[in-house]
Amino acid sequence: MNRRAALLAVPVLFTGGCFAGGGGADEAGSDRLRVALGFPPVAALSPWTDDALLLTRMGAAETLVTFDDSGAAEPQLAESWQFTDDRTALLELRDDVVFHDGTPMDAEAVAGSLNAAAGADPALRVLRDVGLVATAVDEDTVQLQAAQADPLLVQRLGAPSLVILSPEAYADPTAPDPVGHGTGPFEITAVQGAQSATLDAAADHWAGDPAAAGVDVRFVDDADARTSSLRAGELDVAQGVPIAQLTTLTDDQRVVTTSLPRLTSLQLNTAGGVFADPAVRAAAVAAVDVDPVVDGVFEGQADPAPGLLTDDTLGSAVRTTPTLPAAGDPAGASIRLATYDDRPELPEAAAVIAEQLRAAGFTVEVVVQTYATIEPDLLAGSFDAFLGSRLTLLDTGDPVGYLATDYACDGGYNLARLCDPAVDAAVAAAAALTDPRERRQAAADVEAQVLSAAAVVPVLFEQSRTGVGAGVQGVGDDPFERQVVTVAISPGR
Amino acid sequence: MTVAVLPARRAQVLRRVPRVAGVLGALAGTALLVGALPWLSGADPARSVLRARDVEGTPDAAALEAVRTQLDLPANPVAGTLGFLGRLLTGDLGTSWVSRTPVADSVLPALGVSLTVAGTASVVALLLAGLLTVPALLRAADGRLRGGGLGAAVGGALAALPEFVLAVLLVAVLAVGWGLLPTSGFTGPENLVLPVLALGLPAAGVLTRLLAGAVAATAGESWVRTWRAAGVRRSAVATALGRRAVTVVVPQVLLLLVGTLGAAAVVEAAFDIPGLGGIALGAALSQDVPVVQAAVVLLVTIGLVVGGGGVLAHRLLLGPALAASGFTPEATAAGRRPQRAAAAVAAVLLVAVVAGVLRDPAAQDVALRLASPSWAHPFGNDPLGRDVLARFGHGALLSVGLAVLLAALALVIGLAVGLLGRGDRSGPADVLNALPAVVVGIVVAAVTGPGLAAACVAVTLVGWIPLAVHTRTLAAEARASGFHVAAVAGGAGRWHVLRRHLLPVVGPAVVRHALVRIPHASLALAGLSFLGLGAGAESPEWGRALAETTGYLERAPWVVGAPALGLVLLGVVAALADPAPER
Repeated sequence: MNRRAALLAVPVLFTGGCFAGGGGADEAGSDRLRVALGFPPVAALSPWTDDALLLTRMGAAETLVTFDDSGAAEPQLAESWQFTDDRTALLELRDDVVFHDGTPMDAEAVAGSLNAAAGADPALRVLRDVGLVATAVDEDTVQLQAAQADPLLVQRLGAPSLVILSPEAYADPTAPDPVGHGTGPFEITAVQGAQSATLDAAADHWAGDPAAAGVDVRFVDDADARTSSLRAGELDVAQGVPIAQLTTLTDDQRVVTTSLPRLTSLQLNTAGGVFADPAVRAAAVAAVDVDPVVDGVFEGQADPAPGLLTDDTLGSAVRTTPTLPAAGDPAGASIRLATYDDRPELPEAAAVIAEQLRAAGFTVEVVVQTYATIEPDLLAGSFDAFLGSRLTLLDTGDPVGYLATDYACDGGYNLARLCDPAVDAAVAAAAALTDPRERRQAAADVEAQVLSAAAVVPVLFEQSRTGVGAGVQGVGDDPFERQVVTVAISPGR
Repeated sequence: MTVAVLPARRAQVLRRVPRVAGVLGALAGTALLVGALPWLSGADPARSVLRARDVEGTPDAAALEAVRTQLDLPANPVAGTLGFLGRLLTGDLGTSWVSRTPVADSVLPALGVSLTVAGTASVVALLLAGLLTVPALLRAADGRLRGGGLGAAVGGALAALPEFVLAVLLVAVLAVGWGLLPTSGFTGPENLVLPVLALGLPAAGVLTRLLAGAVAATAGESWVRTWRAAGVRRSAVATALGRRAVTVVVPQVLLLLVGTLGAAAVVEAAFDIPGLGGIALGAALSQDVPVVQAAVVLLVTIGLVVGGGGVLAHRLLLGPALAASGFTPEATAAGRRPQRAAAAVAAVLLVAVVAGVLRDPAAQDVALRLASPSWAHPFGNDPLGRDVLARFGHGALLSVGLAVLLAALALVIGLAVGLLGRGDRSGPADVLNALPAVVVGIVVAAVTGPGLAAACVAVTLVGWIPLAVHTRTLAAEARASGFHVAAVAGGAGRWHVLRRHLLPVVGPAVVRHALVRIPHASLALAGLSFLGLGAGAESPEWGRALAETTGYLERAPWVVGAPALGLVLLGVVAALADPAPER
């Protein structure tokens, strides 16, 4: 009898169940919006990590400035600004902003928030070596000062990691807590680990009353799972619908598409192996035909790349046509072409490009791994070619930073291993320019130099695809993927 | 009296000392192995952590140095692991390097979730396998059973179903199509159904095959004839037969439970379940050593406890017979019909493979992306417009060859360990079984470098475990049988007993088990490909093709269907091709 009881007890142990706390997903009110974002929080929604992007996407926190399509700063929490010298700027703040905890956003609070970020350890990407000091001048004016001349001083304020939180958020100075401390149209009321977050409409948002009563956010890593959820009617908004799933959507769903400054390119290793020879690189550049990749693998859901930077980014700047070295004969040279499978289209694109290179006379081996395990080999220059995806405008909306990290000799992500003194000098000169238009022209000139070295083949610019339910209105569509939930968003039920 | 009792008790305690030391050693050893991951792989943990926190960040020297200072990384794996074990004694699981939050806050809830999913899946698998075996039991009670019966074929087919394809299929049909169940999340019991089916169905396949084999073997024992001749009711005979068959399977179910806890990352991702598999995978990739160490120590502890429980459950189920030479296992002849069916299925498979081999598997035509089957391309085209039939045929040789080779390796090791080991308690098998596959994969990749051979090593490292446990279970019964006791009493040598008395009884059943796991080897290989282990990126190997194209299941079922069907047919052939036992 005992024995039988013991055996029966085993299944009972499991039926007790151990479920994650509900994300408030029940239909509390039909005006609540159900949203799934990719990339679960890595550090408890600390704004000083990538989680900052989640804060802006959820509409919970805001930065002082935002960017227009070209990446130039536009007012948000700051109303206007002016440089007093080449390292100092004065910001006029909006006077009608209130934090979710009820404290008004004054100059003291903003200066405190920026100074806390400047003191973050390890230093924030956007503020490294800047030496930013913020001081409250009066109720609505903040003075920003960098340690040396900084043309990007105001642009930096658009970085998601510099969202402004109320003084209460910094109780633990190493881990700011955004819950109930932001300024966005929606206030975070609860966070369930890395699974979900609950937000309610903020009472006194400066841009008016949010159209939705609240937002229930789920963080779902798997893009197919997000799409299935949207199709089953469990969600109103699903970020990042995979191209492969687009045709499975029905009339009850549609997709909001935005062109991104996210470049997919083929980097050629200029320092070692076959591609150390510019003539062989030129042969590879000539061999790649981007149309089958854009129209086939990406099913037209991407824009063929005119260069390293988008037309939007360069604005009125004039592109110079690159002059490639004379193409040599690959003569069956063996190359290893690496890519990663975290973005599902890349392995397929790599297979297409590999076939094109084979047709041109190369012998190609394709290597596919997950990004985390392939990166050390990439940085060590173990491959001849690398197909990857990269944001060309990062924190500051400025293209020169991307050119410096990716193509300058001492750049931290110089996968092409390009080491050309002329490029280095041009990048350094561009970085010192203050006038935005001159900076963009200088960036266009650097782009032409890099392309003339045949160090990289620009393939395409990606598009973001946010799946939304039929009635949903007002979903964010900025090219920096910072806004999904906006003040105007409503489920339309 | 007390004087006489004390030394006996002390001896008992002393005998337990090495056992306790072994358990502690296993825990410390695995913690050290995990703690050494950054050193084994030679990848700077500061860079991995930076990348996990900051996807687009530039990993230059200054940024890395900042992370290193903040993390206070241990100077060497031994120091780090000692620190971890010291904190563990005080009940502190440490702080994650990536999130800077206490490890316990993320790992313990995830363990609860995984226990719920894996536990339910194991129970469901056992129940399902039991149901599928009922017809065979009744036939056996009537004395009409020959070979494994239909259960064997169904088991073989189910066992070959890839979990990740099943997951996508279940979501598409039951959740999105019919709206019966939620697609993903983990907020209530309704969220449990689909993941449990995805995990439980293939597992039920293996268990069904084992049960069918066990029923067939037991049905040949003399007591069944005696009972029937004595007019014992059919249900009573069937119950007795069923109980004997279940004894073989219970240790396997427990093995499955533990193995699923930390290794269900793919299914967890597909259903957005916050389980331990996903956490272990993410942490292992970002080299978040404190999290991996905590996860592995918890898993190994559970593995050892449950492994011991499996031995105990086996003993409980067999009851007094185990101690009283009460068994009369007999070698049984394989049925003819299953073998003919196997030949027929194999012929179908062969025709398709030959037709494919004659075509070009590499020719791309993006215009034919995901084109449906036509006369020119009978199996349709894949995402790059390549001919699916050609890739099916060219992938067959590699897939089947590798799978058979790996299953054979697992069989040899499993038999050797199960027969030679003093297998009456949990041991290294339970430790290895509990480790998440990604941890094994990363360690192997770190030691050998990427490639196909490395993948084979990683798969073989864990592939033998169920076979060894199966062997151990059957050997325990065989050792308790009259002929074994008689042979040992008659002074027969160890090798003689092994060769003449154990192997003939244990061998065929374990070979059948190895056969049903053949397709599994191919899927296990595919599961490691994201680490750079396994067949090359453009290889048409079936497992790899499946892993790459599962996302197209709804748009172009033929792309996924061809390799999936190949594996299922392979599973059926293997399940029906009964080994003829030694006479």
